[in-house]
Order: sequence, then structure tokens, then C-alpha cells
Amino acid sequence: MSARILNRDELLRLIDEAARDRRLIGPVRHGEHTFYEPADRAAELDLEGPPCVYSPKAHFFPPEETLLTFERKSRSFVTRTVRHETPTALVAVRPCEIHGIRLLDHVFGAAPADEGYLARRRATFIIALDCIHPCRDEAFCGDLGTNTAHLGFDLMIRRLSDAEEGSREAERFELISATEDGASLLSRTRLGRTVDRADLDAVRAYERSKASAFPRRLSCEADRLPEVAQRGYASAVWERTAARCYSCGSCNLVCPTCYCFNLRDEVSLDGKSGARVREWDGCQLREFALVAGGHNFRAAPAERLRHRVMRKASWIAQRTGLPGCVGCGRCDRACTAKISLVEILNTLAREQDHDHAGHS
Amino acid sequence: MKPRIAVFSLTSCEGCSLAILELEDQLLEILGAVDIVNFREGMTERSWDIDVAFVDGAVSTPHDEEEIRRIRERCRTLVAIGACACLGGVNTLKHDPARPDYRRVVYGDRADWFPTTRARPLSAVVKVDAELPGCPMVKEEFLELVRCLLNGREFRLPPNPVCTECKKLGNPCLYERGEICLGPLTRAGCRAICPSFGSVCEACRGLVDGEALRAGREAFNTQYVVPWEEVVARLRLYGAVSENAEPVAAPAAGGGS
Repeated sequence: MSARILNRDELLRLIDEAARDRRLIGPVRHGEHTFYEPADRAAELDLEGPPCVYSPKAHFFPPEETLLTFERKSRSFVTRTVRHETPTALVAVRPCEIHGIRLLDHVFGAAPADEGYLARRRATFIIALDCIHPCRDEAFCGDLGTNTAHLGFDLMIRRLSDAEEGSREAERFELISATEDGASLLSRTRLGRTVDRADLDAVRAYERSKASAFPRRLSCEADRLPEVAQRGYASAVWERTAARCYSCGSCNLVCPTCYCFNLRDEVSLDGKSGARVREWDGCQLREFALVAGGHNFRAAPAERLRHRVMRKASWIAQRTGLPGCVGCGRCDRACTAKISLVEILNTLAREQDHDHAGHS
Repeated sequence: MKPRIAVFSLTSCEGCSLAILELEDQLLEILGAVDIVNFREGMTERSWDIDVAFVDGAVSTPHDEEEIRRIRERCRTLVAIGACACLGGVNTLKHDPARPDYRRVVYGDRADWFPTTRARPLSAVVKVDAELPGCPMVKEEFLELVRCLLNGREFRLPPNPVCTECKKLGNPCLYERGEICLGPLTRAGCRAICPSFGSVCEACRGLVDGEALRAGREAFNTQYVVPWEEVVARLRLYGAVSENAEPVAAPAAGGGS
């Protein structure tokens, strides 16, 4: 790991340098929102704005992609794998999103590995942007510890001046590398300077400021979540909350750790050729657990809601050792029925405290 | 032998029939695979020996009713195209008991010259084999249905609401602007065309299912100041729900010939 201190101009030059042989993708502002979109130069990116409406998941795992094409010849059947990978510099990825990408890496990297995903992942140079305070009311990354990341990126930007009462002139960024690629870009470009004693004070001030900036929104400790979720399996909260769930799947599709997909075949008019297409799917959608013969394993909205919360709070972490939820709050924000994951978890924790009090 | 296709229009703007002609890049390929034998918007020949009939428009007059029964007898597969044929469409606005003036506004003192019934979807009168909802229908979905018919594959409408398409396209949610969009209640398949251009969904493709309607009522009654009745009123624009807020019959599942 190496670190350097850059001013704003040097930071933009560094990003442009990272994107010299790569496509640049980062937060581009449209009105009040930002979205991860291609840009020509670092100066076009909004590094100060709100976090992007959607996580950068779609860059690695597109909402819809052709996996292969097929063709029927006179006596044979030919398939051709389709690969889309463009060397990319992905910029201003937040720590919670880094945790999301790490989970996708685990899932798509496990045997049998998803070569298309891995190729796109390998072709992407990630410059993360640390958060010194929570980005929105719905976020609870501070509870989960996902507001900080130490690996899963090539470089990370920390805006040290955020912890100071500084003007624009004093703007100072610390760049930390987590990979060889990251370190080599820092040393090759030699932008900025090495970290001096005054910078170290600023780093400590930054870390102190960050440590107290994230309010606790969960009423139980994060490491108790798997237990709280499991013990709440028979709670009335599922039925009560799911009564207003549209089963629209928005919570799934905006989630940085949701990776489920569906495959469908498209066939030409003459039936001689076609394509196999992969598209996002989600466990809250009514037909997600529908199988041949017409049985639906989770036909009721309450069963689907419970399934999602179990996965986010317990099952994914148990299987992978990685957080199943990164606390970005996008699911709560996307829910037009105003169903809140945090509220559900807190309800379960409260119910169990009451049970416990009742038994003692 | 190539399947013999016909296109008919009942009470409607015939925009869905025209949408077929707008498949300009695929039209020659389609004509290579099927014979079109009866299509008022596209040709002068009239044959009544039909394999697949596509019909747009609502059953809204006694003549419509005769016509759709005759078409049903003459074809093997009947496909309703567009909001009018699938839900009744904007024609159902005339049912509003509070607005008896509609007919007078349109036809003046000659209103009585034009006999009219309740506007109904085709499925209220005859058996319908497949439905392609939307105002207008989605022409790519029409093409997919034709591909399925020709290849003997099952055709299904997307079982999910419009929200899934907004999320896949990366649209910001209109609820964040404080607008009431009918996307969570409405069947996908339009590539969220209205929200993609900043307009709320008006449910022209009908309800995704009755369960979403029940959830919506609960969501609005417990989480919103906007009364659920106002949402229901918006759902009536294309006939996605009937006057008593019941879902209009879900589109027919199969599409095989």
C-alpha cells in the first residue's frame, strides 16, 4: 500500500491518467441526481455530489446482456459466446458499493466461474471515494461497518479537507492504493507529494471526524443480525408489512448485492437463429420461485419479503462471510410502499427483547 | 403453408393496426413468413379464410358485437391488440355516471343516431387467445408474438410491473419527485416509455395482477395523504379497473395456434 497527497487539479489529472487507455465512468450529474455514466474527462465528473442513484452493479452485471447467439445450419447447431468487456476506469465508487462488488466477485467467481463477469471485472480499474459522513437518511452503513473499505479497489480517494474548516485552496486529497495497479499508477504519474507529518495529523482528524459522523440506526449490533433475523422467522412483521408490498422488485434491482438473474431465449422469425439473453431477476417478483408444473415456492408476498430480509441479514453472510447488506439504504428509498429494511430489523430486535424480558 | 393473418378494428383510433405498419424494418421479413389476407389499414383485398386475427378497438356498439362474433367464428387464433381491445381503453370513460354529457359534446343533438353499449374488452364477448395491451400496443411485442406463433413457442406477457423496467433502464423514480406513477401496479413490456421521458405511467397496459391492486390500496391507505380513490380514478383512464375498482380480467395467458 502506498499513499500520496494531491490537490484538486492533480487529482483530476490522476483520474484522466487512469482513463488514458480506458473508458471513464463516474458520477455524472443530471439535475439533482448523479448516475455512473461515461465521461470524456475527470472534470466532467461530479465528485462532490450525492452518491449515484444506482450502484455501479450494472457495469459488471448488466440488466440485460446477450450471453450467446445460436444458429441452426443444415445438420448442425452452432453457438457463439458473446463477450463485452471494455477496459474501464470506474471512479468515485463508495465504500458500501465496494463491499457490494466484493460480494458479486465472490458469487460470480465461485466455480463454475462466470467468465463474462470476471473479464469485465478484470478490465476495470476502480478508484473509490471514501465517505466522511452518511450520504442520506436511509443509509445505515455506519452500523454495518461498510462505510469503510480497505480492499476491493485499486485506489481510494479521501478528501482530507472535509475534516477541516478549509477553503477551496486548502483542498487536499489522500490517495491510497490497495493493488499493484493502483500503486504503480501513483508512482508512475508522481502527481502530488508523499505524506508528511502535517498530512498525518489531517488523516487522524479525518478519521476522528468520520468515526463520530455516522449515527446508529439499527437497535442491535450488526453481528447479532443473523440471529435476530432467524429468530424472527415466525414474527407477525412479515404479514403485516407485506400487506402493502407491490412485489415490484425495486428493492432487489437497486440492491448492490442482489445478483439473481433469469435466462431467456430469443428466436428469429424463421426459427433458424437466436440469442440467449440474461436479465436481472429478483426474489420479490411474483414468479421468481415459480417452477415447472405451476408450483410457486413463495407464492405469498410475506414469504417473499421474509426471504429477502433473511438473505440480506443472515444467509448471504453465513454462506460467504461477506456482508449480505451494505447499508446503502437504496431499497428503502426505492420502495414506493415505504417498506424499510431497517424498521423491519429493529421491529424483530424489539420483539425479541420483549420475549426475553417476558421469560426472565 | 404460411399462416393467414388478418387485422380488424372495432371502436378505436386504429393506432394499433398502424403500429403493425410501423414495423418498417421487419415488415418484409414478416410478409415472407405469413400471408396477410385482410387488413383495412394496409390493403384492399378481403378474405375471410383466416388463421390468426388481430383485433384492435373495444366492443362499444351493437355493430362491434356482431363483428367480433363473426371474426371469432372465422379465425383459429384471436389476438386482442391495444388497450381498447384488452381493457376497453379510453372508451370506458363514457361509463362514468357523473358525466352524461360526453355523448352530447361529441355528437350534439344527433347523439341518438349512434347506438352505443358499454365499452368492453374483446374477452367480455368472445374467447380471446392472446392479448397485447398498451396504448398503442408495443410493436416489438407484436413481433415477438408472431415469432412465437411461427415457431410453436409459448408467448407470455411480462409478469412484472413497469418498475422493473425503470430500474433496468436506470431511471430516477418519479415518486421521489412526489408524483403518483402507476408503474408499481402496471404490467411491464413498454420499456417504461412514459417514465423514461419523465411522465407518470397511466396503466395503459393494465394491472400486472389483482395482488398489486390490494397492496396499492394498503400502501396508499397507510403511507400516503393522497387518497386511494384518486389512484383508482387514474387507473380508470384506460379501463385497468372497472368502476367498482375491481381488476379487469387478467390478460389471457396462452398464444399458441
